Amino acid sequence: MTRPIGIILLGALAVLAVGPRVAWPADPPRAVEGQAIDPDAELIVALADDTNNMDPRIGMGSIRSNYIRQVFESLVDVDAAGKPQPGLALTWRAVSDNVWEFTLRPGVRFHDGEPFNADTVLFNFDRMFRKNLDKWGIKDVPAGASYEKLYPMVTRWEKVNDATVRVHTSEPVAMLWDALGREPLVPKAYTIKHGVEALNERPLGTGPWRMVEWKRKDSMRFERWDGYWGPAPLVKRMRFQTIPEGAARIAALRAGQVGLIEAVPPIDAAGLGRDPAFKVVSAAQKLGCRLYLNGRPKDKYDSGGRDGLFAEPRVRLALNHAINRDAIIKKIFGGYAIANASPVATVMYGYAAQEPYAFDPARAKALLAEAGWRDTNGDGVADKGGEPLTLQLHFPAKHYGQAFDEMTAAVVEMLKDVGVQVVVKPLDFGTLLQVLNKGTLPHNGGFTACRTSNSVDAEDQVRDWATFTLVNWTPFPPDLLALYQSSRREVDPAKRLRVLADLQKQIRDWAPVVPLYQEIKLYAHSARVLRFAPLPELHMDFRGVAIRK
Amino acid sequence: MRSFLLRRLLHALVVVWGVVTFVFFLVRLTGDPAAFLVDPTATQAEIEHTRRLLGLDRALGVQYADFLFAIGRGDFGQSIQTRRPALHVVMEHFWPATAVLAAAALVLSTVAAVPLGVLSATHRGGWVDHVSRLASLLLQSMPAFWLGIMLILFFAVELGGLLPAYGSGSLRHLILPAVTLAAAPLAQNVRLIRSGMLEVLGEDYVRTARAKGLAERGVIYRHALRNAALPVLTVTGLSLGFMLSGAIIIETVFSWPGLGRLIVQAVPGRDFPVIQAGVFVFAVIFVAVNLGVDILYTVLDPRVRLS
Repeated sequence: MTRPIGIILLGALAVLAVGPRVAWPADPPRAVEGQAIDPDAELIVALADDTNNMDPRIGMGSIRSNYIRQVFESLVDVDAAGKPQPGLALTWRAVSDNVWEFTLRPGVRFHDGEPFNADTVLFNFDRMFRKNLDKWGIKDVPAGASYEKLYPMVTRWEKVNDATVRVHTSEPVAMLWDALGREPLVPKAYTIKHGVEALNERPLGTGPWRMVEWKRKDSMRFERWDGYWGPAPLVKRMRFQTIPEGAARIAALRAGQVGLIEAVPPIDAAGLGRDPAFKVVSAAQKLGCRLYLNGRPKDKYDSGGRDGLFAEPRVRLALNHAINRDAIIKKIFGGYAIANASPVATVMYGYAAQEPYAFDPARAKALLAEAGWRDTNGDGVADKGGEPLTLQLHFPAKHYGQAFDEMTAAVVEMLKDVGVQVVVKPLDFGTLLQVLNKGTLPHNGGFTACRTSNSVDAEDQVRDWATFTLVNWTPFPPDLLALYQSSRREVDPAKRLRVLADLQKQIRDWAPVVPLYQEIKLYAHSARVLRFAPLPELHMDFRGVAIRK
Repeated sequence: MRSFLLRRLLHALVVVWGVVTFVFFLVRLTGDPAAFLVDPTATQAEIEHTRRLLGLDRALGVQYADFLFAIGRGDFGQSIQTRRPALHVVMEHFWPATAVLAAAALVLSTVAAVPLGVLSATHRGGWVDHVSRLASLLLQSMPAFWLGIMLILFFAVELGGLLPAYGSGSLRHLILPAVTLAAAPLAQNVRLIRSGMLEVLGEDYVRTARAKGLAERGVIYRHALRNAALPVLTVTGLSLGFMLSGAIIIETVFSWPGLGRLIVQAVPGRDFPVIQAGVFVFAVIFVAVNLGVDILYTVLDPRVRLS
């Protein structure tokens, strides 16, 4: 009896979240915030890197998303707070336990005039699930996310009418709207006619910006698309300029040669912020950096017959209490990071705040002793049965940036203080991936790495310990796995939030990883740039941004 | 001359084949890129599917044979990261960005070095010599990264945007990266020319030339410099190779879309086709530059014979 009510509530929630986007009047505004703006201006945005490709199917990592989401749009959009908003779908709702329905926005066209409709969505679902590729005559591409493997419970999708699509599943999937809804959609006729390579070379989406020129590793130029269904951008042209070096980005901003820069090093933020010619803004991100520990059973990696040394939750909990996160955030990140004990980023739907792991070395040592690890020979290293408590820490140097590298060094010292002998093994990120992929992490191994998400819903982050993947080295015990699966199936929004909160608490107490920090990303822009609001997403949204005359 | 060239070309072919073969197997020793292309939450099955799509599940020998046949046609395969032809990706970064920057830096570092080195030698112990030596020392000691940032801060920020802080495409964009790239080789060339000139200025043939009443300018530039320049030629050949292939720091600081950064990014990403095409281009460049230097040697020093 409760399930139908839950479904209706979920549907209502989705519909409430939906409101027609307010379109500008016929003439775009000439002033915002009481200041005259220049609608013909060019906004130059300095980014740390260029995208490798523009086909959303290949992947939506943090660099690619910034480029791809200017041109392509998805069914579900997000607002500045990261809350789901209608995008190419006006509403999404579960019409029954096993059926989701998307109502599409009418009157939307791709940049070449091709209409967006239910056929477009079905074609994109075909690509996502690798179905009917031969029928459409298009190639498969190596993809970041394999939907057919992630969501095997999705059985089929159908067109109800030009503006309605239904997706059928073999079991309830509460977050399907998010899983399918955040993938940017490509035009059907254009892709079939020109092949998937064309999406990379000459991408055409429904987004507010048309790509007009792409000089690889240099810049990408966009023009406002006047056929956009929503409010037209308030600047005519935009250029994404690659400037890899942080100091050079800041110099370019100070020289007035770019209007906005991303990834401002925390150490430079204060100086820029004091200058009235610039504004520094920030947004919490979904990126969480963690210390992963080998807690796999011996049959689940190249173990040499030994279970992972960190299978015992008390040991992992001890390591959590050994870390002084406040000091790391204050000293290394200048305050621009978050200590988050939940496995879910603070900006995701379903996040529930968890009790922080207190920095308490005495408690850490006590927990280690409870687990049988004591310093029996006075050498400062805990041991058990003659084996010292050693962590072989694989550390992807120079991959996540200087602050991450400094943080890892600090973490090593903190772990040593509670009796863990840490052997640091710096290696390049590709080599780390090979180790994780081949399962050759030592039984006492661990690694520091960061994890982000392209989704809105907490499910994307709590599933990390459900199946064996590159980052899952401490699989859920049966009770937690069951709780996780129930969170996936619960379609009643209120109940699901409660299940998710309970799951997060239990994961926090079970401590599969040592969460280190959640990223806060810093941006700086000229004071002439108005209304830029950073998102807790992987991309930036320039739809409302204007340049003062 | 013809047999010399033929022999060197054959030698070059063997060198290039050896290099690309070595790199082919070397990059595969470090694993494959499939894990790079999937989300970190991908399962083994997803990674295997990606390996199959990339053809990396085939036997290594089969991959190598395919590779050799394909490069005979100039086909290095598709870049794994960008899904575009690898050689095309490499060449579009080589020309014009890398080639123009290297040429500009080479001209700067050699043309400016000649008068400075000669002046320094002919005014040994004087203020010109002291200034020249001090400047050379400073330019060689400065990290290119630091010098680049300082030049940006001065010319782009302090002088109100006199020169662009980043980018490529015009002479104005070229100035700061070329100066930064040329700085260390320039200093090196000045010191080499100075020491070479000091050595040859004391030689008998220079004394003879002076005794015959030749003008000092003619003695220095026609007789002394020609011999003093030989070591510079060798170093310039090596420098050109460095400028073409290894200007990664300059490219990063000035956002110059050249070959160095492309290859350096391809290596950790295990983009095999781009690494292989890039190394092929580098090998060809190095071989060609060395051949050019050898030929120039015979022009400058008739005692060296091609046979």
